[in-house]
This record gives sequence, structure tokens and C-alpha cells, in this order.
Amino acid sequence: MEPVRSLSEPEARSHTPADPAPMTEPSSEPPAGPGFDIGATATARPDHLVGGARQAPAVDITGLRAFYGRSEALHGIDLHIAANEVTALIGPSGSGKSTVVRCINRMHEEIPNARAEGTITLDGVNVYDSATDITAVRRVIGMVFQKPNPFPTMSIFDNVAAGLRLSGQRGPAVKDKVHAALRSVGLWEEVKDRLNAPGVGLSGGQQQRLCIARTIAIEPQVILMDEPCSALDPIATLKIEELIAELRDQYTIVIVTHNMQQAARVADSTVFLMDGAVVEHSPTTELFTRPRDERTERYVTGKFG
Amino acid sequence: MALENPSPLGLLAPVPGSARRRAVNRAVEIACTLAAVLAVAVLLLVVISVFIKGAPAISWKFLTSNPQTSTLNFGVNSGGIANSIVGSAILIGLASAMAVPVGILVAIYTSEFAGPRSSSGIRFALDVLNGVPTIVTGVFVYGVLVVGAHQSGWAGAIALAIVELPIVARSSQEVLVLVPRTLHEAGLALGLKRWRVVVSIVLPTALGGLITGAVLGVARVAGETAPLIFTSSIFSNLGLTTNPAQAMPNIPVTLFSLSESASPQDHAQAWASALVLIAFVLILSILARAFHARSMAKLSH
Repeated sequence: MEPVRSLSEPEARSHTPADPAPMTEPSSEPPAGPGFDIGATATARPDHLVGGARQAPAVDITGLRAFYGRSEALHGIDLHIAANEVTALIGPSGSGKSTVVRCINRMHEEIPNARAEGTITLDGVNVYDSATDITAVRRVIGMVFQKPNPFPTMSIFDNVAAGLRLSGQRGPAVKDKVHAALRSVGLWEEVKDRLNAPGVGLSGGQQQRLCIARTIAIEPQVILMDEPCSALDPIATLKIEELIAELRDQYTIVIVTHNMQQAARVADSTVFLMDGAVVEHSPTTELFTRPRDERTERYVTGKFG
Repeated sequence: MALENPSPLGLLAPVPGSARRRAVNRAVEIACTLAAVLAVAVLLLVVISVFIKGAPAISWKFLTSNPQTSTLNFGVNSGGIANSIVGSAILIGLASAMAVPVGILVAIYTSEFAGPRSSSGIRFALDVLNGVPTIVTGVFVYGVLVVGAHQSGWAGAIALAIVELPIVARSSQEVLVLVPRTLHEAGLALGLKRWRVVVSIVLPTALGGLITGAVLGVARVAGETAPLIFTSSIFSNLGLTTNPAQAMPNIPVTLFSLSESASPQDHAQAWASALVLIAFVLILSILARAFHARSMAKLSH
């Protein structure tokens, strides 16, 4: 089992934002984090983990409250996101689904006046600890956005290499990682002859897979997906869903979706949120066939939302 | 009702009062068109009249030789304005070397790092600075740098830079705001530092627009006269000078003093100088447009 990369990476990453040090950093950092190993707290391996699978960390959210200015968007969320599973967040617009995932990799606080309280732990290590390095958090917890957003000035190759190169990695390892990432999102055959073509020249579905490749190239352990298919056609959506099923072997995945069929297809467990609170969190089939809460039942049967 | 309105068009008949509305519509349309035509006509008139009056005096000698005056021809310039062309180029170059980087940094600060309140405060300050009459800027630099010392290319360049700074900063802000938020987020979500996202993702995306702003700023200060009258207008010699520690001859001030002369020959040279200046500004504007078009194509992805 591979340990979680450290979130608090001490000396090597403790430079100030103005410090150009990342340019000269050694190209590979030791993957072993000091002090903890997920073996200590990990739950039993899910059944689908076989062969080349890798144990990813579980995510535990406790008492999470999130604010936009003075308005409170999340009112104390408690959630256990199991390792190497796909967890779907569903709920009506404004229920706080996106806010939850944006809190997990601390993107929430990038919005002016937004802040969050509570703890989110990755196999016991608090993402919100004052000693954690926010950039390390985001390298361990990758994110895919609603609209495909490849960098418009960069080629297909450079897009996938961006996370590596711009944090100081150089050399042949970058090329290998980029190729591997493109292969694992199933884009390799489609783009191998035009790696230097602009990333924005791809179709929407390809762009979104490119963005997933860009995310996994930096070898995160958790992947957050914020409605990754909402801008895509059904065929491109299907490809992404197949990809999510494959990625489960390597990563813990949280996906926000408006599409209940999608949640039913891809997720091992599903969380139903309403008005900034968790209403129900159950194995997916159970949530859709035997919802425990009346509000869940009304939502999944299309009576509101 | 249907009986009172026996139009064969029935429901499709024009409603009462539509004739008047059509007339108002037409009048507004004509007024707008005329205003647009007027604006273009003014530009054409200026360019054409400067061309007609300036072209005859334009010659290779005019562009490449220094002024030659002697008491024999009563101080009339029988040479050219090469010294002013070189001087202007140096002044504009120095001013832009100061104003463009600072302007872009200010824009990056307001759009990427400052809070909403300080960023709108800075925006307002830049607008006020942009509105300061340039002669006031000239007097200010005169008071700070020239009084007690002497006129110099540096003083002139600093005065021009003060004029150029808000133009560059404001136009850069407008462009940086257009860079989609999602690109910042994509960069930050890859675990990149904020400055890294700005340098490697935001700035390349906005590059065309930033160049447009810089070029427009250069074009604007190329013709600025007031800041230079106080800071770089008394030339100790009429030869070519490339030393900014001395007052530097420049096209706007030369144009002004030639036009003040009594000699028709000097007037012809003033028009020719105006033509050189206007051609420079036109070329820069066309360049700016080209960069702008390129940039918009990139941002619309």
C-alpha cells in the first residue's frame, strides 16, 4: 500500500509565493509522508480492488460549515467518503453540493469573502490544519470542473504537463507521466499524432478527458468532479462515466451531479443534500430504491427539485 | 371593434400611431448615422489636411538631417528634424519602459491579489490620474525634477510615463478581467502557487490584450506636448543627442516652435512634422487593433 503524500511537506515547500524556488526543486519528491500511513486507519479494501489497484485514502468531513460572506451555505456537514469508491452528491440547485467538494480541496476559500469551518481529514490528516500547505492539499486532491477548461495558450501535451512543469518538475519523467495520463483517460489513440496541437482544438468531450488527464498527471489520490458531464453530449458523457469506473481502482472519487441516472450508473454510494445539509447517505441502489427519508424519496422520484 | 376596423389585413393591420413611431424610429436612426459619419469625417479631414500640407516638405533630407539655422537665413530651419525623431523615440521608449511594466503590475495586483474594495479604489485613482490635465503633470515634474536642476530627457520621460501609466493600467485591467475565472481555478486546483498561475496561465492568455493596451498608451504619449514643454523643450544644441541627461529635442515641441515661426518655410516643416507624428500614431493604432483581434480570438475559446 502506498502512503498518502504529506500535506504538510516541511522545508522543501515552505517558500513564500514570491519565491521562485519551485523552478529549481528536485524533479521528484519523496512520496513518503512523515508520520502517518493510511494502513493505520484505512477501512477494509473494497471488493473491486484487484490487480494493479492502489489504495487511496478515505475522506472524513466533520461539522463542515461554509460561508459566502454572511450567508451560511453549509450548516454542519458530516460525511464519510469511503476509499476507492465513487461517491455521488445529488440535490436541488443551491443545496451546497459544489460547495462541499470545493471545501475538500480548499478551493472554496478562493472566492472573495468565502470561508469554511470544521474538519476534513484524509486518513486522519486534517486538510484545514494550519500547518498544511494548501498547494500540497490540491496536489493530493485533484479537481475536474463543470466546463472543460484546458489552458488556451497551451498544446495538448503542455496542458497535461502543466501541473508537473509549473511546479518545477523537469526531465523525461514529465513526458512519461503525460503519456501515461493520456492513456489512462483513453485519449492517447486520439491525440498521439498531434500532441503539439492546441488543447482547445479538441471536442468538448475530449477536452474534458484532457482536463481529467491534467488532473491525474500530478498523481493525486482523491479526485473531485463538479458536474463533469453537464456541458457534454450523451456519448461523451458515457465515455467519462466509463472512465470514472476505471479510475475507481486508483482514486477516491467524489462526483457532483444534477443527473440522477448518472449517479445511479457511476456511484457506489450517493449523498442527498438539501439546503446545505445532508439528508441521506446510502449505498446508491438503496438510496434510489429504498430511500429512508421522505424528502429523498420525493426528490429521486422527481416530485420536486 | 372588428366592425370599427374593417382593414382587409385584420389582425395584421398596423396598430394606431404606428406611423408616428416609424417616423421617430427613422429620425433616431438618421441622427445616429450622421454622428458616426461626422466622427469618421473629422478623422479623415485631419489626416487628409495634414497630409496635403505636410507631404510637400517631406523628404529624405527632412527625415535624416538635423536642423540647420544661421543668421543668414534669419533662423529659418533649412535642415530636417532627425534630432527630434530620435529624441521622441528615446523619450517614448524610456517613458514606456517605466509605465508599461508598472501599469501591467498594477493591473495584476488589482485583478489577482487586491480585495474588491482596494481594487475599486485603485481603479478610481487611475481614472483620476488619467483625467489630470497633462500640463499639470508637466508642471508637477518641472517643480520636482527641473527646478534647481535643469531640463532633461529623464524629466520628460517621467512626465510622459505619468500620463501613460493609467492608460496602460486601466486597459490591462479590462483585459485581465476577461480571462475566465475557470482558468485560475484550474491552475490553483493543480496545486500551483498563485503567482505561478498568473505568470504561466493568466498572462499568456491575456498577452494580446496587454500588448494592445501598451501600444495605445505609446500612441497616446507620442503626441503629448504639454508635459514636455516644461521638461524637455530648451535644447542646448540642435545636434543629435541620445543622452537623456540633457533636454532632448522631440517632435511635438519642435512642431510647436516651428509653427510659431514667422517663416512660411518653417510652417511647411511644422506640417511635415505633424505628418510624421500622425503617421506614427496611425501605424501604432493599426498594430494595436491587430493584437486586439488576435487576443479576442484567444479569449473567446
